[in-house]
Amino acid sequence: MAADALAPRASGEAWADAYLATAPAGDLFAGASPAMATRWRDMLGRLSTQAQGDPATLADHVSRQAIDLGMAFRLTGDEQERSWPLGPVPLLIDAGEWAQIERGLVQRANLLERVIADIYSTQSLVRDGKLPASIVTGSPHYWRVMTSTPPPRGHHLHFYAADIGRGPTGEWRVLADRVRTPVGVGYALENRLALSRATGDLLGAMNTRRLAPFFDELRRGLAADCERTDPRIGLLTPGRFNQSYAEQAHLARYLGLLLVEGDDLIVSDGRLFVRTIQGLKRIDGLWRWMDTRFLDPLAFDPKSRIGIADLYNACARGGLMVSNWPGAGVIESRAFAAFLPQLAREMLGADLLLPNIATWWCGQGPERDHVRARLDNLVVGSAFDQDVAGLPNAHFTPGSALDDTQRTTLLDAMARRPMDYVGQEVVKLSTTPAIIDGQLAPLPFTLRIFVARDATGQWRVMPGGFARLAAHGDIRAALMGRGDMSADMCVIDSKPVPPDSLLGVGAPAIRRIGGMLPAKAADNLFWLGRYIERTEMTLRLIRAIVGGSIEADLGPSLASPTMTRLVDQLALWGAIAGRNGAIGPLCATALGDARRSGSVRSLMAVVANIGEGLRDRLSSDFWRLVRLPLPAFDGQVTETLLDASSRMIERISALSGLAAENMGRTEGWRFHDMGRRMERAINGCRLLTTFGNDQASADDLTVLLDLQDSQISYRTRYLTGPALPPVRDLVALEPHNPRAIAYQAARLADHVAALPTLRADGMPEEPRRLADALVARLAPLTGDMLTMDDIYDIEARLLRLSDAIGQRYFLQLRKTQTPDLLS
Amino acid sequence: MIYHVRHQTIVRYASPVRLARFNLRLRPAPWTGQWTSDYALTVDPIPSAIESRPGAWPVNVARLVIENPIRQLTIEARFRAGVDNGAQIVPQPDDPTIATVAQAALLDRDMGPSAPAHYLYASPRAPLLAPIGDWVGAMLAPDRPIVAAALDLTRRIQAEFAYEPGATDASTPVADAFAARHGVCQDFAHVMVVALRLAGLPAAYVSGYLRTLPPPGRPRLIGADAMHAWVMLWCGPTRGWIGFDPTNGVITHDGHLFVAMGRDYADVAPMDGLFVGGAGQSLRVMVDVAPEEETALS
Repeated sequence: MAADALAPRASGEAWADAYLATAPAGDLFAGASPAMATRWRDMLGRLSTQAQGDPATLADHVSRQAIDLGMAFRLTGDEQERSWPLGPVPLLIDAGEWAQIERGLVQRANLLERVIADIYSTQSLVRDGKLPASIVTGSPHYWRVMTSTPPPRGHHLHFYAADIGRGPTGEWRVLADRVRTPVGVGYALENRLALSRATGDLLGAMNTRRLAPFFDELRRGLAADCERTDPRIGLLTPGRFNQSYAEQAHLARYLGLLLVEGDDLIVSDGRLFVRTIQGLKRIDGLWRWMDTRFLDPLAFDPKSRIGIADLYNACARGGLMVSNWPGAGVIESRAFAAFLPQLAREMLGADLLLPNIATWWCGQGPERDHVRARLDNLVVGSAFDQDVAGLPNAHFTPGSALDDTQRTTLLDAMARRPMDYVGQEVVKLSTTPAIIDGQLAPLPFTLRIFVARDATGQWRVMPGGFARLAAHGDIRAALMGRGDMSADMCVIDSKPVPPDSLLGVGAPAIRRIGGMLPAKAADNLFWLGRYIERTEMTLRLIRAIVGGSIEADLGPSLASPTMTRLVDQLALWGAIAGRNGAIGPLCATALGDARRSGSVRSLMAVVANIGEGLRDRLSSDFWRLVRLPLPAFDGQVTETLLDASSRMIERISALSGLAAENMGRTEGWRFHDMGRRMERAINGCRLLTTFGNDQASADDLTVLLDLQDSQISYRTRYLTGPALPPVRDLVALEPHNPRAIAYQAARLADHVAALPTLRADGMPEEPRRLADALVARLAPLTGDMLTMDDIYDIEARLLRLSDAIGQRYFLQLRKTQTPDLLS
Repeated sequence: MIYHVRHQTIVRYASPVRLARFNLRLRPAPWTGQWTSDYALTVDPIPSAIESRPGAWPVNVARLVIENPIRQLTIEARFRAGVDNGAQIVPQPDDPTIATVAQAALLDRDMGPSAPAHYLYASPRAPLLAPIGDWVGAMLAPDRPIVAAALDLTRRIQAEFAYEPGATDASTPVADAFAARHGVCQDFAHVMVVALRLAGLPAAYVSGYLRTLPPPGRPRLIGADAMHAWVMLWCGPTRGWIGFDPTNGVITHDGHLFVAMGRDYADVAPMDGLFVGGAGQSLRVMVDVAPEEETALS
């Protein structure tokens, strides 16, 4: 077998020769022109050199880059994100072949735009019998309410994506049209990033066309249809549980769009606004990554919880760019493919340059008879991508795969509702080299190619694409199936590609502040800070219990009332169930028990969860730290608990360091820091009342200094052991101690003073008033006069301040839907 | 027959709600054999905006925005309507067959609000459930004349389903009501719509009213004390849309007052919307549909 010849550490030439010996006819590499075959060999040679001849090393190398980029996705039903399966061998297509694909897709985008425009305006195609009414109405993405609601500049489509496949003889054809969301475009971009990071100058050396200009054009194309010249455009996401949320967040960041959810937006007087900490700000355009049905519960699906009430009105009123325009999805139905060749002749006066997959819609008598007669040679599918009788759990079945019973069931169902079915030709896909189990082997592939309008409204095709390499089964369903791989696709020019000038004519005006902060992002950042701080204090409690004090004799001899109080504090925070049990297992629970809402594991999960909602605002370094698994520990071995809690505290410090040194001093940073300060101050009050009250023992005070990380400060000031007044002063009142309550209060007051005000009368807003009063309340106090009543009062003031910040800056909206009225 | 209609809805909220936005679908849409006049909508408290727009289907939608916090909302629609459908429709031996109508619906080139093409497919509240098709069996065989077959189905639903107010609510899935063989007008109409669409026929969901008190000597119809629902079936280009009321087992006539037609309940719900805040709410609906002579006497 040829695979045996492909010994590890083989050269690129050996890889290529072994591959070509087994590659099936029509393979992208095997079937390449002599010039392109040389490029393939060059590329494999370079990849092989880099991986020292071992394909497995190469695969590892590229997938590590993908992980570092934070690439992830979900399959339907997944709770957790999966890491991204990126293959290291890109597909190479030469510029000449690519030009034909480009022309075909531009023609198709123009055709689709005209068909959609007709459906939602004069409906002349239906009236004249060129398109059956029932093929339009069968689509769940057809929204009659959008009739006579034209988009700005008549552009129903701003982007268009096509899945194309290459047959064994090298001919390309369109397998599916996508206009609802361009899922995959962000992954295509990330695949390119990961590959170019992993392969150094390989892509440039091959004259690979660059992707960046396409995204620039796309952004300008969106902006060009907005009313204002420097428009504010949001990327509307269904939220962090969506399969492609990571992709959406990445694109928003890459394109400089505001990542928004329905809750962030509000329509008032027919205009769209985003809720920010500075009040409502106008939105000029939306790139929506949700289906029309979810967009507005009052106009489309009343059950939608993720939409924006009255967005429809804002669309109908005019002056709002929405990409793609609501209702455009109607042409995605497979059944349309049966009509597009004829419609191209009717509307464009030309044949389709890129044929689509041959399709017969059974809603028409002769076509239905054709499908029935040739069932064994066709694939039968749902015409509108819905569950239909006779095709259980699969929207596609090759006729030849049906047994007699299934066949009868399908034909009966088709007789009753023929319009629900299409027959399509069986597509044979050609292959491309991929690394499977450490070997170079051919895999069938499809490409998703992206097309977008530029500022002049002309279509631009992204010179690259998302390649899906099929593990098995139906490649037409989703973006990625179980076991599939993705790969980059490179368009190869004959001449070197000039790098884009970063100082181009179209460079945007320089800005020194980041965009505005949506209220929900502020909310999330604040709570992210609070949870990180709570995690840190929980870890310090655990470490104090297992004996992490610098007092040599503290651990074993800790007087039992102090120990009890420490354990009780963990119980109070929900890290453990109660004080019963040995110290080791209790601490193990507080660290790692996912069932306890206050355990470190649970708190870190909340941190990760809140962080998900801030994906466009947090760095990949943050993700790496948050995603690291808990260090291993054993509840019976004290040292492991000590070590694990110390290492976690270091991680938290690293997160603090990232926030302190890497976050821009934006309002977002202020909310994050306010969350930390607020939680630290409140915890400070609680700890002081527990370990610093009038009955506090020396052990209590030692623990208090330890928890507040103030041991060293205390020792540099005082030669005696811990005494109540100086300890209280240090952990509560000293303005220079970054762990002291007074320090947190001062920082909180700084932050709220720097935040925008909504008042025009110059009067302070409530958070400002409360924060200033808190600082004033603390200022005259000293450790010898501080009473527990003072602390209770300060804690109550902190809670009021936290509420006031929430009331003023965060979303106070919890939408309720009226139950329908019963007839 | 001329009617005076009064439809009052009172919603009480357990705690104040604000930024309320509602769709009201109370004003009758134009329909053959029926006219409406003197329509008046009163809302208390007075909304900051009321805006009317034609819906996607034969539906009138009024948009209501109430910015200020409210604890109670009273909505009252009053109008006068005349119904004259001519002779009561009865099945004819030469009615088109189900197969003929299904084929005609697929070929129809209309895209207007009541075009049959809109009512052929599954809709959010009316999924095409296979068990309903099995239950219908040969009753909707392709060679049967359509009006007779649909009337058989109408009567069968009335006979086999228990009318049980409270057993279901407006959000009950049709599958549940079908499995339990009980419900109210909405459930029966949904079951019938699904059954007809499974046979490839265009079927719509209609909301409307029944006269509150029957003419002398006639039984009081079920569903007269609230809004009612029934089914419209497109019976081919000649017969057009015909109403079937599965709650009462009849083809509709001058006692049925058309308000709105859509693909299912969600398209014609008398009221839906969104507001901020509030948890519990309670609802009271009063409907009075009286022939004009009676009103004159009282």
